[in-house]
Parts: sequence; C-alpha cells; structure tokens
Amino acid sequence: MQVRVPEKMTLMEKLNILSDAAKYDVACTSSGTERGNSGKGVGNCVEAGICHSFSADGRCISLLKILFTNECIYNCRYCLNRASNDIPRAAFTPREVCDLTMGFYRRNYIEGLFLSSGILKSPSYTMELLYQTLYKLRHEYGFGGYIHVKAIPGADPRLIEAVGYLADRVSVNLELPTAEGLKRLAPSKSRERILTPMRQVQNRMEENRNELALYRSAPRFVPAGQSTQMIIGATPENDYQIVSVAEALYQKFALKRVFYSAFVRVNEDSLLPALPGGPPLLREHRLYQADWLLRFYGFRASELLSEDRPNFNVLLDPKCDWALRHLEQFPVEINRADYRTLLRVPGIGVRSAQRIVKARRLGNVDFPDLKRMGVVLKRALYFITCRGRTMYPIRIEEDYITRNLLDVKERLPFGVGDQVTYRQLSLFDDQNFSPLQGTKVQEDGERERLRQE
Amino acid sequence: MTVFWCEDSLDGILTGIYDAWDSRLGHSHVKLKTDAQDTLELFCEYRQVETDAVKAEKVLRTVRERLGEEAFEAICYAAACTDGRRADAIYRMVVLGLHMKNGRQVVNCLQNPDVSLVMHLRIKAWHEAHRYMGFVRFEELENGILYSAIEPAYAVLPLLAPHFADRFRQENWVIHDKRRGIMAVHPRGALWVLADAGVLDFDCLGRPSEKEEEFKELWKSFCKSIAIEERRNPRCQQGLLPLRFRGCMTEFEQEPDETGRK
Repeated sequence: MQVRVPEKMTLMEKLNILSDAAKYDVACTSSGTERGNSGKGVGNCVEAGICHSFSADGRCISLLKILFTNECIYNCRYCLNRASNDIPRAAFTPREVCDLTMGFYRRNYIEGLFLSSGILKSPSYTMELLYQTLYKLRHEYGFGGYIHVKAIPGADPRLIEAVGYLADRVSVNLELPTAEGLKRLAPSKSRERILTPMRQVQNRMEENRNELALYRSAPRFVPAGQSTQMIIGATPENDYQIVSVAEALYQKFALKRVFYSAFVRVNEDSLLPALPGGPPLLREHRLYQADWLLRFYGFRASELLSEDRPNFNVLLDPKCDWALRHLEQFPVEINRADYRTLLRVPGIGVRSAQRIVKARRLGNVDFPDLKRMGVVLKRALYFITCRGRTMYPIRIEEDYITRNLLDVKERLPFGVGDQVTYRQLSLFDDQNFSPLQGTKVQEDGERERLRQE
Repeated sequence: MTVFWCEDSLDGILTGIYDAWDSRLGHSHVKLKTDAQDTLELFCEYRQVETDAVKAEKVLRTVRERLGEEAFEAICYAAACTDGRRADAIYRMVVLGLHMKNGRQVVNCLQNPDVSLVMHLRIKAWHEAHRYMGFVRFEELENGILYSAIEPAYAVLPLLAPHFADRFRQENWVIHDKRRGIMAVHPRGALWVLADAGVLDFDCLGRPSEKEEEFKELWKSFCKSIAIEERRNPRCQQGLLPLRFRGCMTEFEQEPDETGRK
C-alpha cells in the first residue's frame, strides 16, 4: 500500500487535520485516577476529572484529542478517514505529539492526551507507534497527566499490555451495537477481534488489582479502567438492543463507561441512513439517561425496556417512564424507605438520596427540607410522602400523573427537543398551581382531547 | 439585638463568631454581618469586630476537633462565597454543632436552614474553584515564569493554589486574582504563598516568550476544529462555560481589528 502522507507540513496544518479527524470520538473524560506529582516531572491527575474548555457544540474539551495519523487501510462506511475518501492525510511524529502535549499542559489548556489513530500499514505497526509516543511522553518528558489511548483490535497483545502500563485509560471502540451491523458497515472488522483486546485488558486489570493488594507500589495497569463507544442510528438496532449490549459490557467486561455517539453522516454511501433532522440527539440523550440508571441507580435493562416496548418514550425520561408503569410501588415514605427505593423515585438523584438518608437520622424530613436537599419536587411529589402525607392531595393514577409530568417541561439539554422556553401568560390555573384540583385537571385534559379530535 | 460587624474574610467571620459567643448576650440576641453596604437596622446595637488571627485560629481548632473535618472544610469554602447571610449561618451551624451530642453529625443536619445554607454555599464555592482548575490559562513569559490572571466571583484563589502547586511543582508560576488584587506565587520546588498584587511589578515580569504566540494559535485552531458542525450548540456551550469566564481564556480572545483594539 502506498502511504499518502505528504512529507512537509507545518505543525499547525497537521493539528488541524488530525484533530478534525478525531472529533467524532466521544470520550473526553479525564476522571478515574488520583495521582499526585511524581516530584520529578510535571502533572498530576484528579479523581473527578477536570474540563478545561467547551467547544462550540457544547462538548467538553478535557484532553488533547488527536489521531496519530488519519491514514487508514480500512474502509468502514461511516468513517471520515476511510481508505476510499479523498481527504488530506497527515501523520504526527512521536516527538511532535509530545511537544504539543507538554506545551498545552504547561499552559493548563488540557488535562492530558487522547491518542487514537487510523491504521497505518497494520494494526501492530500502528500500535507500536502509539506505544513509542506514550513511552517518550512518560519517560523522556516526565509527563504525569492523564492519557487515554485507543487499543487497536488485531494488534499484538504484548503491545496492548505495554501501552496499558503507560496510559490511564484504554478503550476499544465497539463501533456498532451488533455484529450484523458491523458486518454491513465495517466488513474488515469483526466482533471477536474487537472483544479480544477488551477481554485482555479486563483480565490484566483483574490481575493487577491482586498485585497492588500485595505490593502497593506495583506498576498500575489502566488505573482509570476501560471504556468503549458505539454509534447510534447508523444501523437499525432498537434502544432495547443497545441498552442490553451496554449492560452486558458493564457486567461481563467490567467497563467503566460506554459512550454513545449520535450518527453524523459524513460520507455519501448507499448503506448509510439519511438523517434529514440531523443527528439523533434526543435518542442519544435518552440512552445516556438509561446508562446512568444502569450504573448508579440499580436498574436492569429489562426493567427499562422490553421486546414489546423496544424504544424509549420520547416525551418522558426513562425513570419517570418506569415509575409510571410501576405505580403499585408508590408512594414511597421518605422517612422510612431504604436507599435503593429512594433512588428509584423520579426527581431524586444519588446525591439527594444520600442526603436524605443522612439527614433523617437526626429528625424527620419534610417537603421544604427536600427542596433544599436538591430533590426536584415537581417530579417527585407524585411518588412520595413525608410523615405519611403527600405534598398536595394527589391521586396515584397513571393518566393523571402523566399529564402533570408532561406539563412541567423536562429540562432537556439546550438544542435537544424544541426550543420554546416561554409560554402565554394565562389568568386561569392551567399550570396546576393550586392544590385540590385533581378532578378538574382530568376534565380539562379530556376537554382538550375532545377539541383536538 | 446586637449585630457583630466583621471583616469580609474567613478570619473576620471566625473572629466574629468568637466575639459573639464571648459577649455572653445569648445566641438569640446576637447576629453576624459582613456586608458594610447593608442597610442598618433600627433597635440594633452595632459592634465592630477587630479581626484577630489568634481568635480565628482558636475557633478553627475547635471546629476541627469537635465538628470534624467535613464541617471545617464546609466552613472554609462557604466563607469564600459572597452571600451576605453566610457569616450568621456559619455562626448558627457552629452553635448547633457544639450543642449536639456528636458534633460531627452537624453537616448531615440538612433540615436546619442554616446548615443547609452553609452546605449549599460550600458546593457553590467548590464548583467555582473546580471550574477554575480547568479555566486558568497560563502564559509563558521570557524568563520561564507562568503567569495567569483570573477574575473569580468568589475568593477561590487559596482553594485553587494547592492544586497547581502539586501539578506544576517544578515551575515558577503566578496566579493573579485581578478582582481582589491578590496573587498566589509559587517558586520552583518551594511552597506557594499568597501575596498582595500591589507589590507586583508588571515590568519585571517581562514579555511573553517567543513560543507563546505559536502555542496560542495552535490551541485556538484546535478548539475550532474539535467542534462538530452538525451538533453546533452555542447555548449549551454558554451554559457550561458562562461568558464571565471567557475574558481570561486564550481560546476566546478576540482577534484585534484594524484599529488595533481588542
């Protein structure tokens, strides 16, 4: 194969091409490692991660996200850098990557480096280049900041292991949620080849945990865990399939994060879907909501969706949706219910549930207290009681609650869903401010439905 | 009612707590205030509190010993905020904590409006400090010093400096809080100190190094090329990175126009 990388190119041109090519990678997190300065070099890591800037699309810029090269031997249909595309190609040298990273890091522009790459010559050859870069950065330049590196499926396992000792996070892209989708759009990749390095990293991390238990200063292997990402909306999978895949990855591969990336059509290709409404951002948002429910709220994929209802509700978030289908479990008494039950109430998050559990040891908790603790009462009030009372006289009825929940507009991230943030001032109580009007609301709703018919 | 008027700083508030307690007027008859601009109340006696580092240290030690590390941290962070109610809320929290059987539980007592306010302010200050950990932009000067100017809403510089002291241990750096006229100075390999920015001679600092302009340009172009045009969403960006931070950030520097004005 002929390498099409031009010989002479300024650093600026290379950075432009190779950061532009890397922007479709989602992960830009710098969390998961707590590491102090080594005393010799520069840099440390903060457990919570730090966002250093936000780009015009509202995504955080935490790491210097670049490809080592956008030259690629594969021809995946969804990818901007596929071999058949006629785009400018560039490649960094390891030294250039190190200089850039150090220069940016010293000025506090970035938290670390995110290094991915197109496949140059062969997976192992590319992986070795990445290894050389990271080795130079860690040992020659004494860089102690965060490094996220892509493991390339099909590369020599020894290389992946060596890279794992230099990086904080390793990720292998799952690309598409199912093996069939992968076969269709990325024929040169296979599911097995993607899962092999993932399993390898998982097993090595497990061993490393034991080593660290024995010997505290043993070298750490991938301390921030591994992650993956998949493209949403390029293939016809439903939400249930995607969430089930994510759940399996969390359980069987002990992943730290699964990222979802709304498909952006960058290539003209007959096998890719046309998306006239832009990337499926609302769907991506719902998947992230469900992802949080899986990881922090103790939900299972089969509770959120099923074969009969394979897609998320467009109007309600997954937690409200679940609660409305399980009204027999509500209302929940705030002063008695255990932590796991509290977590399942819409409007109560991890932080507020923890605060409730701590505060109620010292005395009863009432509605105004809940508000101060960060509970979103306009959602929670239909599902909770404090000292045996609901906030207003409400009815635990699916239709009634659904109508009221839809009335308080869900705060979607800007740009997702419609943009109307104002409404006509009305002399009538159409926002249900006053209590004691359960029946009235139902009548209103019915009248409205009649009018629409 | 007696109002103790203290200086608008952590030490000032802590001295106020000491004096208010020491006055033996009874907790329900005293109030703490920091805001000098506030309207004076009728039927109140005002007492000026002289900030005293020894008294402040005593209060801080008691808080640490009896209310625990978490309350200590919360009080320090809350004092960095600008909320006018914070001095009184901190006082009430300390009083409550010292009357509880187990003072360490006071941070969990969120039913109490004062504790709740202090914990809320703690999060606000922490959030501001955490944002600045990312948004500080250093400029390399000719002599290798890293210089950064910030304009934080709260007095977060002392909360910020330890982070950078660890991160850039082998560097000489200065972070200058322009709004409050103070700066954190870190000489290479030594401890950082808080200093009055009045003593800083800006001519001594020197000009930006020759590499500086190149890195600025590289960074600006990186920030542009990393955004996905199809997902463009300036309102989301502004929600996460409000305009007030952008004045001191390299990537939002305006290109000078023909008249040479920025």
